[in-house]
Amino acid sequence: MNAKQKQFISQNGIWGVLIVLVILVTILTGGKFIKPANIETLFTNESIKGIMAFGVMMAILSKGIDLNPGSLAALVAVIGASMCTMNETTASIIQNGGKPMPAIVAIVICLALGCISGAIFGSIIAFTKMPAFIATLGAQLMCRAASKIITTAPVSNLSDGFRFLGKAKVGPIPMIVIVFIVMYIISAILLTQTRWGKSVYAVGGNDQAARVAGINVEKTLILVYVWCSFCAALGGILLAGRTGSADPSTYGLNYELDAIAAATVGGTSHTGGVCRISGVLAGILILGVVNNGLVMLGVNDNYTNIIKGLIIIVSVALDMRKNTKKV
Amino acid sequence: MKKRNRLAALAIAAAMTATMFAGCGSSDSASSSASGDTASSGDGYDITFILSLRDEFLSALEAGAQDNAPDGVNLTTQDAQNDAAKQQQMIESARNAENDAIIINLVDPASAESMLESAGDIPVVFVNRYPTDDSVLEAGKCVYVGSDELTSGKFQGEFLVDYFNEKGQTDITYVMIQGTLGQTSTTNRTASAVKALEDGGLNITLKGAELAGEYDRATAIEVFSPLISTGEIDFDCVISNNDAMALGVIEAMEQKGLNPADIPIVGIDATADGRQAIKDGKLAMSVFQDPNGQGKGAILAAVNLIEGNALADGTDYEANEDETVLWVPFEPVTPDNVADYDNR
Repeated sequence: MNAKQKQFISQNGIWGVLIVLVILVTILTGGKFIKPANIETLFTNESIKGIMAFGVMMAILSKGIDLNPGSLAALVAVIGASMCTMNETTASIIQNGGKPMPAIVAIVICLALGCISGAIFGSIIAFTKMPAFIATLGAQLMCRAASKIITTAPVSNLSDGFRFLGKAKVGPIPMIVIVFIVMYIISAILLTQTRWGKSVYAVGGNDQAARVAGINVEKTLILVYVWCSFCAALGGILLAGRTGSADPSTYGLNYELDAIAAATVGGTSHTGGVCRISGVLAGILILGVVNNGLVMLGVNDNYTNIIKGLIIIVSVALDMRKNTKKV
Repeated sequence: MKKRNRLAALAIAAAMTATMFAGCGSSDSASSSASGDTASSGDGYDITFILSLRDEFLSALEAGAQDNAPDGVNLTTQDAQNDAAKQQQMIESARNAENDAIIINLVDPASAESMLESAGDIPVVFVNRYPTDDSVLEAGKCVYVGSDELTSGKFQGEFLVDYFNEKGQTDITYVMIQGTLGQTSTTNRTASAVKALEDGGLNITLKGAELAGEYDRATAIEVFSPLISTGEIDFDCVISNNDAMALGVIEAMEQKGLNPADIPIVGIDATADGRQAIKDGKLAMSVFQDPNGQGKGAILAAVNLIEGNALADGTDYEANEDETVLWVPFEPVTPDNVADYDNR
């Protein structure tokens, strides 16, 4: 086996793991798992956390982290829902008297809010050199609290327009899956075809070297968190659209951890500078197969989490070995 | 240049903090004190109410306590954010501030004894979550106000027994959507529902495993949808530990093109959305837990403890013989009586 083949296997081995897992679950469920209807269910279920993973992936690649996506999604969901509910809500401080705002306006406001939040916390991280873990931890607390201030009860009965992205179907394919695929393509282009994407690799690998090479490190980092928050805000819109409701205390809870897990299983290195978008997609799907397959097999939820934990640890252990060998 | 950047970041942070405080200010006024000038009035009782988590239901309970606080009671509420250690600290602070009574919505019902120790000699009212070891309850000193979690599941079970008896069906397969695994309310709601089905003479089989929906609509959709991904319903009913998750099940079925009215789906809480689903015929029934009544019962019980009155004085409820528990009953909500709950 020559070096090229070895590299191919080490980079794409994760797809092998996914295929083995799919075959295993298919056999155990007597073929039910692989039916198109169930594959649709799997993709629909993983879309929201998957989109967040595309955002978090960039943060990890830049040698940072983002703990805010889940809470930001909840905040965006309650704001969007409050603007687009057809009820007269008394619980929400954003009032519209039961007249839903045009969905497109609400969605643009929601996404803009996400980007602004990302710009603020990205600036704090970039300019104060504060560890991203701390800055985004603070952001997480504030966003969760802000969503609970906005409403004390779930906001429901949302307009169909606002629910379009999360609920509608185009032919047989759910809109939410199309959004997921589009976000995958955009992420791939940003990561591999743009100057910014290459800068993120460079900053994550060695920020001093990147600075010497003429990269604007601060601008690169701020954009990383803007992107990450954009993905989270989109996740929040989809979450409200899919469920038809937005609950400030439970929505998006721990979603960032699932997103971080997917990016990590997909081979994004927490030491920065290493990431393959196809690997992250495989990571999302591996966790999705586990979530979906184990429910079909009737496995208790506690064991599902033990298996997910094992997958995360084993995949990172293998990844560490791979990366240390290079040195 | 670098210095200016730092200054800019600081300015942004300061501006954000200021905005947040401005936001907090408006809600604080709603949640801190119930009746305006209390210090000047005759009784002047200071009572602290510590919530386990300010979610939808407990916010309503909090409002029930505030709205029904008698004149002269200065009620402060605090949110322990689901952290038992934080709750204990808050109890100690209330004791050190020489409060007249403390109302506790336990984060962990098993921690009742150590919470009581922290309260010292101050009278304590446990609300909504029944202490695991109820020997800590003592007339005139420590009481419980709330509903019996074991009856909520029982109402679900009994409803389903009637439903299947009418259909003449004795073998049923059920889906169980649980809340957060390991919580006392989850365990009790699930166990009492299953027990009522068995007591009703049905042969029951659990479909798959008991699913953990975390009391959350989105999570319930996620864990439930693989069961119907083939587009068929191969079970007879869905039992959910709360309405939010039952609504998730309904949403998942509708997205699959299935009719949720085909099988009985039962919830607990009778939330606004839950009641609407009952009216629409999608949710078969729910169980009303009276947050306003529990809040009212808790604040009145606290005053009764301070003044040495009978536990049930001034409330609409009955105390048990030992004068240690004030039961606020659960009530089953079905299409027949759902309209009665609109303004409660």
